[in-house]
Amino acid sequence: MKRYRCLWLIVIFYFASSDFISAETTLEKIDKNGALIIGTRTGSPPFAYVNKNNDWVGFSIGLVEKAIVPVISKKLNKQIKLEKKESAPQTRIPLLTSNAVDLIAETMTDTQSRRDSVDFSLTFFATGAQFLVKKGAQIKGIQTIAGKRIAAQQGSTNAKIIRDRVPSAKLIEFPDQPAAFQALAQGQVQAYTNDGIQLAGLRAKAPKPDEWVVVGEFFSYEPYGMAMRKNDSDFRQVVNVGLMDAIASGLYFEIYDKWFGPKGEVPYPLSPETKRFLQMQVVPK
Amino acid sequence: MNYQFHWNVLWTGQTGGWLLQGLLTTLHLSILAWLLAVMLGITSGALRTTAISLLRWPAGVYVEFFRNVPLLVWMFFWYFGVPPLLPQALQEWLFEHGVEFWAGVFALGVYHGARFSEVIRAGIQSIPKTQFEAALSTGLTVLQTYRMIIVPIALRLIVPPATNETLNLLKNSSVALTIGVAELTFQTRQIETYTAKAFEALAAGTIIYLVLCLTIARLMARVERRVAIPGLIARGSTDAA
Repeated sequence: MKRYRCLWLIVIFYFASSDFISAETTLEKIDKNGALIIGTRTGSPPFAYVNKNNDWVGFSIGLVEKAIVPVISKKLNKQIKLEKKESAPQTRIPLLTSNAVDLIAETMTDTQSRRDSVDFSLTFFATGAQFLVKKGAQIKGIQTIAGKRIAAQQGSTNAKIIRDRVPSAKLIEFPDQPAAFQALAQGQVQAYTNDGIQLAGLRAKAPKPDEWVVVGEFFSYEPYGMAMRKNDSDFRQVVNVGLMDAIASGLYFEIYDKWFGPKGEVPYPLSPETKRFLQMQVVPK
Repeated sequence: MNYQFHWNVLWTGQTGGWLLQGLLTTLHLSILAWLLAVMLGITSGALRTTAISLLRWPAGVYVEFFRNVPLLVWMFFWYFGVPPLLPQALQEWLFEHGVEFWAGVFALGVYHGARFSEVIRAGIQSIPKTQFEAALSTGLTVLQTYRMIIVPIALRLIVPPATNETLNLLKNSSVALTIGVAELTFQTRQIETYTAKAFEALAAGTIIYLVLCLTIARLMARVERRVAIPGLIARGSTDAA
């Protein structure tokens, strides 16, 4: 029994002491390592995914690479490298708080409850939840899913909304997009809900894109932000300045065009409202 | 660590209910899978010890095939692979009635059945051959010998490794979340979604699994003592003295 008590003490000390172990700020950590470590996804085209050439790329990664890394490099007066680690909805907050990564740059929706645990950059993309269905299916939007079998991604905000608004829908949650899409293709589920832009991405990558349609009005608001450790406003400032400069200079829209433009991976024109919204987030110098 | 623990998320709102629901689903899934695994295990374990190669051979194939492929693959096999082989109407009926749960039961049960089979085979092979011959000489048929003498003795001998397998099965039931079964691990992730409190949710899941496994281990230890055959195996515990 004594031995167990000793073990518990170690566990308790670990949690208690971890506060002063990581007293350094994120910028100090980046300076020391010479690298910004981001947590990002491998299967969320076109935000962050591994492409046909086995390169880990995407819109979110591109933004960090072209807009944020240069600002950090300038601030620290040295060239900073970008390192990528895989993150998932369940692991991204622990990855941040344990210092394994410095920034989450993928498809993470900024929410009030998440802001209790982490801080967010300004919104770099805004979308909303829709449904992916087989062409000609009965489901036309959230009003028509009562009693239907709906797939969702585990850990997503969309599942939460469906559970609250249409409790009679049979919700089946999968850990990743490929499994959910497979279930949709085979008929285990009748629709797959996720953020509209992700469904558009999934459809574009499907073997026969014409067989699938994205339907329904946005039934949620999903502003994507980059997450970082709480209470580190110097780092947050650098990230936000990077994004603001990119929007103001037009670099953001160049990167947008690369991924979502007419010749991009997933053509998805930027609506005038979204463009205006992005520009209004930029505060004067 | 720049993280504030809010343990109260575990008992405010719906989280308590979710954990309970997850626990019940885990138990439901594990118990059904366990029954399937034990049935398959006893049958194939016994078959593997028979003298007739026509019976030994298929049991051997079953064990090697199922235990040497990762459980995750079996989950996908039963969920994505099997339904398309069935008639359309049956498929639709299954999809309406929680096919993911039954796919989980089969994946877990058939996989662990192969592992149980080896445990039972080991138990049977540890029984002296003379025991078998003595049973036959009293006029019992081979089937009766297995059913009334050999398997009952083997089952009493293998309680410790069977406990091990049972605990593995319970913990492996968490793999079913990959096909959308809302079991305990799934629910801890759900709590993370709603509250963004990953550490608390994981800790709650860990403690529930730990308590479950310790309870099963204790119960099985009691069963072990109760069914021990005096003189056949030297018990390590003090009550043997």
